[in-house]
Amino acid sequence: MSGAPIYIAGMGIVSALGRGAAETLQALLQSRHGLSVMDLFPVIEPRMPVGAVDTPDDPRDAAPRTHRLARSAANQALAGSSQPPDAIILGTTTGGILTTETLLERNITDPDAYRWHALGSVSDDLARRCECRGPVITVSTACASGAVAIALAMAMLRRGLAKRVLAGGADSLCRLTYFGFKSLQLIDPLGARPLDRERRGMSVAEGAAFLLLASEPPSPNAVQLLGAGLSCDAFHATTPQPEGQGAYAAMRSALSDAGLTPGDIDYINLHGTGTLDNDLAEARAVITLFGSQPPPLSSIKGATGHSLAAAGAIEAVVAALAVQNGVAPANVGLAQVDGQLQLAPLMAPLHKPMNTVLSNSFGFGGNNAALVIGRSRKPAQTLSASSLPPLTITAAACLTGAGRTQATWQAFASGQTCHGCLADQIVCEGLPPRATRRLKRLPKLALALATEACRQLSPEQMPKAISLGTAWGALSETHDFLQRLFESSQQFPSPTDFIGSVHNAPASQVAMMLGAKRANVTTSGGDLSFEQALLAADLLTDAAAGPILVMGVDEAQPVLSPLLDGSVHKAGCLTDGGGALLLQRGGAGSGPAIEVLANGAAPQAEEIASFLRQLDFPAALDKCYGLILTGIPAEHRELAESQLRALLMESRFQGPVIDYRRRIGEFGAASAVAAALAVKILEHGSVPAALIGGPEQPLNGRGILLLGLGPRISVVRIGPP
Amino acid sequence: MEKLIEELQAKIVEILNMPDVTAADVPVDGQLVGGELGIDSIDVLEMVIMIEKDYGVVINNKELGAKVFASLRTLAAYIMEKSPGLAN
Repeated sequence: MSGAPIYIAGMGIVSALGRGAAETLQALLQSRHGLSVMDLFPVIEPRMPVGAVDTPDDPRDAAPRTHRLARSAANQALAGSSQPPDAIILGTTTGGILTTETLLERNITDPDAYRWHALGSVSDDLARRCECRGPVITVSTACASGAVAIALAMAMLRRGLAKRVLAGGADSLCRLTYFGFKSLQLIDPLGARPLDRERRGMSVAEGAAFLLLASEPPSPNAVQLLGAGLSCDAFHATTPQPEGQGAYAAMRSALSDAGLTPGDIDYINLHGTGTLDNDLAEARAVITLFGSQPPPLSSIKGATGHSLAAAGAIEAVVAALAVQNGVAPANVGLAQVDGQLQLAPLMAPLHKPMNTVLSNSFGFGGNNAALVIGRSRKPAQTLSASSLPPLTITAAACLTGAGRTQATWQAFASGQTCHGCLADQIVCEGLPPRATRRLKRLPKLALALATEACRQLSPEQMPKAISLGTAWGALSETHDFLQRLFESSQQFPSPTDFIGSVHNAPASQVAMMLGAKRANVTTSGGDLSFEQALLAADLLTDAAAGPILVMGVDEAQPVLSPLLDGSVHKAGCLTDGGGALLLQRGGAGSGPAIEVLANGAAPQAEEIASFLRQLDFPAALDKCYGLILTGIPAEHRELAESQLRALLMESRFQGPVIDYRRRIGEFGAASAVAAALAVKILEHGSVPAALIGGPEQPLNGRGILLLGLGPRISVVRIGPP
Repeated sequence: MEKLIEELQAKIVEILNMPDVTAADVPVDGQLVGGELGIDSIDVLEMVIMIEKDYGVVINNKELGAKVFASLRTLAAYIMEKSPGLAN
């Protein structure tokens, strides 16, 4: 089944090849390669070639490099738009880590210096600058991030949830990725030579690109996003499935989404990193899908390097340029093709009219995305507003300092706090030792939650897709990698820590454990990371999709958590854990419905009334909802409390309100625990007396509202069915 | 050589982080990578780092790596041959 095409109303690109579409096109036409020897920060010899962007640091601007690259590409994409986009979906793996590395190396202990660290701060910065007040999702699915962001934006537009979405990716060079890929021996010392028989790896790079996507054609001949496909290998943390099964599934699903057959594709922009394993697995997938005579194809990563989360967005722009200009770029860096691949990549740019380009992006954790960009040969379909039933919850699990689900519920319901960090031994109960031997805190928490949420499921009830939100990602691995890097004078950082440090490592571990081979998304948007994962899950789940596991999880790391998370710093106590919900589309009567009603910039006090009207709330909130669980992060307590007062006054809600972080503790994924506990309260049928300091309050069939307050606000309804 | 093999067994067990594996379980002549212990490419990379750090021997070529890591004995022999500290 195919979906409606979406239009490209604006594009922005910055890479090692230059800034803007015109410079990029010129470089591609000349088959120029943009790699240079690393000189962005001091590194030990021999220095490796990288794809660096020519952009001077501005001492007056505290924003890290990733943020500045993202701004540059976003400004280009929005040039000529008088209105801000309705939503922003951005893929990034680095956020402010380049700045954080420097601060850590200098032993800076002022948390304010780290305020740009979070991945979500890149998208929040863009939202502020372009005055976007709608939903923001920050995706971190390793090297597929940029393409996954574009796929999610497409779903949002097709559902009629937005009319214009800014979607893309951004990543800067940093020590973590430079030395991380080096420790994996995945860097070609001579520069990336994708598909070459002498290839020895990739060249790490940086860049950013955005598409302004619209549901209405901006001009009669606009290039379109025709389809997208996501999959997960569920095979290995870094190595692609050798036959390219996941890559094949993503490409096939993108074609089917676009309503096209393999024979319709005019050019394939390969992921083609230049590593032995990627290029071989991708070649096998291409041949499986397209046969022995595939369309013209090439990888541009010999020219740009591999800009990780930005790559999928950069190559989506390149695909659009290929269609606009009738030119497919050459496979720069290639001297003699590897015969084992059985492919004939373009040795020079190919000039011919092109209607459809397939662009591949694959990442660590077996995260695969494929996009189809072009001009539709069929009359455009009309968009229809979403008529999907809401997602329903079929199972829930949580984990806190008080214990696993049952222990947390007992502590919570009896009015005790759940602060602290659960002992590793209890977290790992029931997990196979061999599956966890290389894992640190965050992936173990995720596996424990997934195991509990999916207990006693039949194979057809098992989730096929995963959406996981985490505010800070795997802090233990990040910390340990950098510490060993600094202590060993850059010589001996741990490859295992690097693999584990990527934000999507926990979700890919869960996918491997459950055999979940469909979409696998990790979101990272501060205190609303879990809510973003819910939103992504909703976008990824059509009427025919199978069950999806949505999780929120964060770990407490003694050094980094208080530096990075202002609420942890304020609380002065380390707490971690998370929650998991198993969801399916529809299935009335099987469990409570869950729906993200709002996710956007916080309304001003005088805008609260109109904000509530937009939510389509009934006049008497009390009639539908018997409890509000409100997330008030310690860092933003004053602001959040004033927001809550205004909301309560405007809605005249008289029922109980629980400030759940006071009980669960301060950490990014506390809202995921609250969501799981809301399911428990609904099962219980009334709000326990100990929580509200009075008699038990029966819900009488009413639902629970989960509010996330602060600079950004979210409203999630759980139930009524 | 035998002393180096014993030393490597202990270090490999530490790298593997397996609660149910002891140093004696690491086979000396049997298949090291992909064998019963579940040692994979990531473990090999950790071993490469350990060998460079502790013995000053660099292994940075995939084909060479496969030959060197065929068994614990081939690994120990390679370290003996290349290590400045262990050379006879």
